[in-house]
Amino acid sequence: MMLSALMLCIAFIASGVAQAAPNAQEILAKSDAVRNPDKPFSLTVTLVEYRNARQTGGNTLTVYSKADAAGGQFRSLIRFVAPARDMNKLMLKNGNDLWFFDPSSKASIRLSPQQRLLGQAANGDVVTVNLARDYKAALSGEESVQDGDRQQRMSHKLLLTGVSSDVTYHRVEMWIDVANARPVKARFFTESGQLLKTAYYRRYQMHLGTERPTEAVIIDGLDPNWVTVMRYSDYAYREIPEAWLQRDYLPRFRPE
Amino acid sequence: MRPYPALSLVLALACAMPALASDEAALSIADQATMTTEEPRDWRVFVEGALRETSRRATGAVSHGARLSIDLRYDKVVTPGLRAVFADRLDLNRYYGAPGDGNINTLKEAYLSWQPQPDRIADFGRINVRSGSAVGYNPTDYFKVGALRSVSSVDPASLRENRQGSAMLRGQALWDGGSVSALYSPKLADRPNSGAYNLDLGSTNQRDRWLVTASHKFGQFNPQLLLTGGEGQSAQVGLNLSGLLNDSTVAFVEWSGGRSRSLLSQALLSQALLSQVLLSQALGTADDARLRNRVAAGVTHTTASNISLTAEYDYNGAGLDKAEWDALRRGSLAAYGRYRTFASIAQDPATRHNLFFYATWTDALIKHFDLTAMLRYDAVDSSRLQWLEARYHWTKVDLALQAQVNSGKATSNFGALRDRRITQVLLRYFF
Repeated sequence: MMLSALMLCIAFIASGVAQAAPNAQEILAKSDAVRNPDKPFSLTVTLVEYRNARQTGGNTLTVYSKADAAGGQFRSLIRFVAPARDMNKLMLKNGNDLWFFDPSSKASIRLSPQQRLLGQAANGDVVTVNLARDYKAALSGEESVQDGDRQQRMSHKLLLTGVSSDVTYHRVEMWIDVANARPVKARFFTESGQLLKTAYYRRYQMHLGTERPTEAVIIDGLDPNWVTVMRYSDYAYREIPEAWLQRDYLPRFRPE
Repeated sequence: MRPYPALSLVLALACAMPALASDEAALSIADQATMTTEEPRDWRVFVEGALRETSRRATGAVSHGARLSIDLRYDKVVTPGLRAVFADRLDLNRYYGAPGDGNINTLKEAYLSWQPQPDRIADFGRINVRSGSAVGYNPTDYFKVGALRSVSSVDPASLRENRQGSAMLRGQALWDGGSVSALYSPKLADRPNSGAYNLDLGSTNQRDRWLVTASHKFGQFNPQLLLTGGEGQSAQVGLNLSGLLNDSTVAFVEWSGGRSRSLLSQALLSQALLSQVLLSQALGTADDARLRNRVAAGVTHTTASNISLTAEYDYNGAGLDKAEWDALRRGSLAAYGRYRTFASIAQDPATRHNLFFYATWTDALIKHFDLTAMLRYDAVDSSRLQWLEARYHWTKVDLALQAQVNSGKATSNFGALRDRRITQVLLRYFF
């Protein structure tokens, strides 16, 4: 009897240990929840680009995002606020379905994922992405890395491989803080294994109930002197009707 | 077994160190970043000055001109559910040593939009309705006829932007992944008016017209169906379809079909003095109405260095084939001139088969420097229109150099254009 109870106890503890072992996909999903609010929302993204420490460009965008009820992936509507020449142009991204709208010409043009509108930043960099939906994660180990605020963070190192054809990057290395699932750093690779860019997520602040990164620093893989700083502000929950997230609503889109 | 683990570690660290150092340098730059977040605005205004040199086809004479344009767009939600849109452009043209001085104001849009529900919208006023998935020629862009009042560049993007809308009443209903809209555009004037500040409703609202447009998303495809008709015109059906061939290539096709007269027949009939007898002589028949198709199909490929290349085939079933075009060029000069003018106003190719190539290179070799090139090739008479633009832009200023060369035989589609060469320097300032 005692032996049975002991065996049961050991089995229970063992199962607890098994449950406690980190699951790469869950870690990634928790990290997604740190970056992305759980309801439809909007935020302002300010991009500044540097070449050789000299500012060479800047954009202000408003991003409206809503998760697809079926697939869980975000659909995003991006409104160009500045510079003036691009004012009120729109980009709609729903997976690989990409539309660009110019209010001056009333033209809704389908874009290919390769077409970039924002210099170094890929279209996929500025939209909201649930990585756990698009990538298969494998745990490579735990290591201490320096974050964007120069602090050492004990992190899970995840290796992400794209599971669908509409991912922006084929392979990603990602470091996620063991303590709180915050994304710390990521390295993005081409299909051939070439480093495209490195991103640091930093300056965490409380927004919509969670401490979220308010800045991403993107460093080009080939030219480390090419740096883009993306600052996130004005997080707000928004009503985004399904009917808005389609090509034919682009000429209509005009938030108050 | 690795014989020198310590050496491997040192080598690995040595490789990683430059990356870490460069990351540190990049983070230091980011630390110093001054981020200015702009607030959304309801209006956009720019002023554009241009100097132009043209070389005449017939004489080779060189003439100069200047243009100053003021372009305003205002778009505001005045109260929840009510939006006001106003877009206008004023071109002040001066030609030295040649006729053509004049100011032209183009009221592009002026309408109110009422949205009682997120998925129900009604519009009233002058609206620029534009359809079409192709780049060089849009057979389903039914409201392009008479829309051009002042042409400052042959770039398709400029032609779409600088045009006047039609007065209409429009309603639209949307649902998840789809939409249907219907519009009615009434006749409001009998003939165009080239007065500098005239609303020119005679160009856009010369007859009653209607258009119904419907679309729904099926997977990655989002086809758009159009049905249009009006006074003196049989119903025309249109289709727009585009899709991804791969990560870097978009394919598109645009089709419009229905019973109609040939473009030549329409052009000659539009001249009130022309009798049916003369028309029969010109066409061989008094009424050549039959089912005619118009098609534009092509691909846009984008390279890793962000160069976008478009190749498009344009078919105009109402345009003239080689035999008809040759006959017209050899015949009455008045009929030939009338036809060219009519096709130009309708923004329809004069001949049946055309090819269109368009290339844009954003940040070409240096940041903020864009190159754009266009070639229109008339496959019926082998004439060409070539256009090139180099544009550099700062935050509020654009500086561009444009060059256009028209080549071909004297009465060919592009060879007959008044100017053989046009060079323009433009300076645009955004407020």
